[in-house]
Amino acid sequence: MTLDRKNFLVGTGVAAAGAAIGFPAIVGAAPEPIRLGTIPCLTGSNALLGSQEHDGIQLAVEQINARPEKVYDGRPFEVVEEDATNDNQSAVSALNKLLGENIVAVICPVLSTQVQAMAPVMKSHDIPWMTGGTAVKNTQLGVGGMFRLRASDGITAAAMTNFAVKEKHAKKVAILHASDAFGTGGADQIVQNLKKMNMDPVANEQYPKDAKDFTAEILKIKQSGADALLMYIQNPSDTAIILQQLRSLGFTPPIVGSPSLGNQTAMETAKKNANGAYAAVDFIVGFNSNVATHFLTSFYQRFHHNPDVGSGSGWVFDSVNMLAAVYRKQKSTDPKRTIASLKSLKGFEGVLGRFDADAEGNMVHSVSIGRIEDEKLHLVKTVSA
Amino acid sequence: MHFDPVANLQLLVSGLAIGSIYALVALGFVLIYNAVGVVNFAQGEFVMFPAYIAATFALPAVAVFGGVVHWQLPLIAVYLLVIVLMVGFGLLFNRIAYYPLRDRGWLPVVISTIGVSIFLRNLVQLTWGSQPLVLPPLFPVDTIAVGALHIRPQDLAIIGVTALLIAFQYVLFERTTLGKQMRATAQDRTTARLIGIRVGRIVAITFVYSALLGTVSGLLVAPLFTVTKEMGALIALKAFAASIVGGFGSIPGAIIGGLTIGVIETFGGFYVSSAYVDAIAFVILIGVLLVRPSGLFGERVAEKA
Repeated sequence: MTLDRKNFLVGTGVAAAGAAIGFPAIVGAAPEPIRLGTIPCLTGSNALLGSQEHDGIQLAVEQINARPEKVYDGRPFEVVEEDATNDNQSAVSALNKLLGENIVAVICPVLSTQVQAMAPVMKSHDIPWMTGGTAVKNTQLGVGGMFRLRASDGITAAAMTNFAVKEKHAKKVAILHASDAFGTGGADQIVQNLKKMNMDPVANEQYPKDAKDFTAEILKIKQSGADALLMYIQNPSDTAIILQQLRSLGFTPPIVGSPSLGNQTAMETAKKNANGAYAAVDFIVGFNSNVATHFLTSFYQRFHHNPDVGSGSGWVFDSVNMLAAVYRKQKSTDPKRTIASLKSLKGFEGVLGRFDADAEGNMVHSVSIGRIEDEKLHLVKTVSA
Repeated sequence: MHFDPVANLQLLVSGLAIGSIYALVALGFVLIYNAVGVVNFAQGEFVMFPAYIAATFALPAVAVFGGVVHWQLPLIAVYLLVIVLMVGFGLLFNRIAYYPLRDRGWLPVVISTIGVSIFLRNLVQLTWGSQPLVLPPLFPVDTIAVGALHIRPQDLAIIGVTALLIAFQYVLFERTTLGKQMRATAQDRTTARLIGIRVGRIVAITFVYSALLGTVSGLLVAPLFTVTKEMGALIALKAFAASIVGGFGSIPGAIIGGLTIGVIETFGGFYVSSAYVDAIAFVILIGVLLVRPSGLFGERVAEKA
């Protein structure tokens, strides 16, 4: 047979059709990966939180993809990551870029201010949005698929206020907070809780982003005669600097902080200056489940340092595993079905404890109060909403 | 709010300490501006980068490139080592960021310094990651209590070292040939070259000196502020404002401008609002420029009709 133009075209067409129809079945095409979007703050002054988020996601995805069935039917997770940097505009730009990447769910940055800035874009996309941002408002933004995997500031602030007033018998409570959405939201919650006890804060000081010298704030708090200080701060480095300056300026009343005070990095950076302070936290090492113990061990083996479990790596690790469990159960990544499954989720055991979704998408309903000694948290009590 | 003399003294010490840091960094801005006619936007990284190097050599364990190093050298040895390394850094900065662009106008050099600033921040992120580091303080005690007054020895060290550096700089510029050559180069590079001054060498020395001013600032504030890759940015911004308040190009202006901004923002944070402490610095800047556009010590420039 001579290879004329007609035979060539017919032959090529048959070969192409055969390749398209039969070839994948013959060699076994790789199952389609499940694309998961993530937007940690990888650069800027919150890169510490972002790097912990990145590591937690990476660990969870590596563990899931190492299973024979991967997520389900051999489909692995594939992470599509964009940098939220340190400002809201960048976070929104990163989100817009991510939404063009055929993703089925997004793990949001931990900063509430960025989550709130992204909300108008999120509203028009029915996919699950997993957040560790604790501002109460985050689950009230009208975003259908929003799920929070940490205790809200409402629970944390109430626990902090009750502990200071009822357990430490404080009568003059001062507040020091960051001026971002997290800090102001938390401070507002504390003020509301104090009002329920017929109290007002004797000082309510906020500091601007990237501040390093807190002498003015601390002196005002000292001058107010405060017998307890409640701190609502996200950045572990800020927390450590403030603790150092509080001690060096002779502030001695009890200090009760938001989760970043019990953050591993904050405790390791503040060292002895953190001794005796209390923190309302999502997680205390030593009082954890088997899931958490396995997470701590594998995280250290993988990254050679301890994780910041609450605000950093724990909630994202739980987010990935929770999504995997839902996908595995429904054998589908359909976003609407996934949102419905997450809304009815009860009793999921994760690193941060037991997750039970409520109508707003809140999944954690308790915090622990811990006392810091020698860079370690010691459980004082657990407070439920 | 009642007047509390102890609180005011505390604020003054703290304001002078942070103002001293602004002054040192502002001096770095001014010296380079005078020598080569451009603003060095990497001045904040001259504060941050040596602090990371110092922490690496001083701490018992520091994560570097994913591994862990265990140097823990004595603090004095660390300081000397960092100073030597930063001399090399200043020379390298001059050779890479300035020298190849020296005849192409001011804009390429400014862009080059911005590029180095971004490069250094990313280099730090890649090398040391995001964990903050804490450089040990110079003194074993955190605070000295005198009645109700709590003084941090580190604050006193900052003020003292700044005073010594200013005195050293006065002697250098007024009493030494090198200083006179630096001043001559700052005033008119062409004439300086004509009278036999090796301008290229003097410019290189200016970059080294500016890097060392940043190094001293970084080593002094690192025990108080923790070492992060952002630590130099806000200091540099305030120092830049200070150098404009003082009169850009004026050495006494940079010092007075730095101290003024440091003290006023600390008192402003206490008496007005700590939330607006950054705004206070820039309100001062605008106020001074409205009243005296050339700054407190700047030369008046008049245009002939």
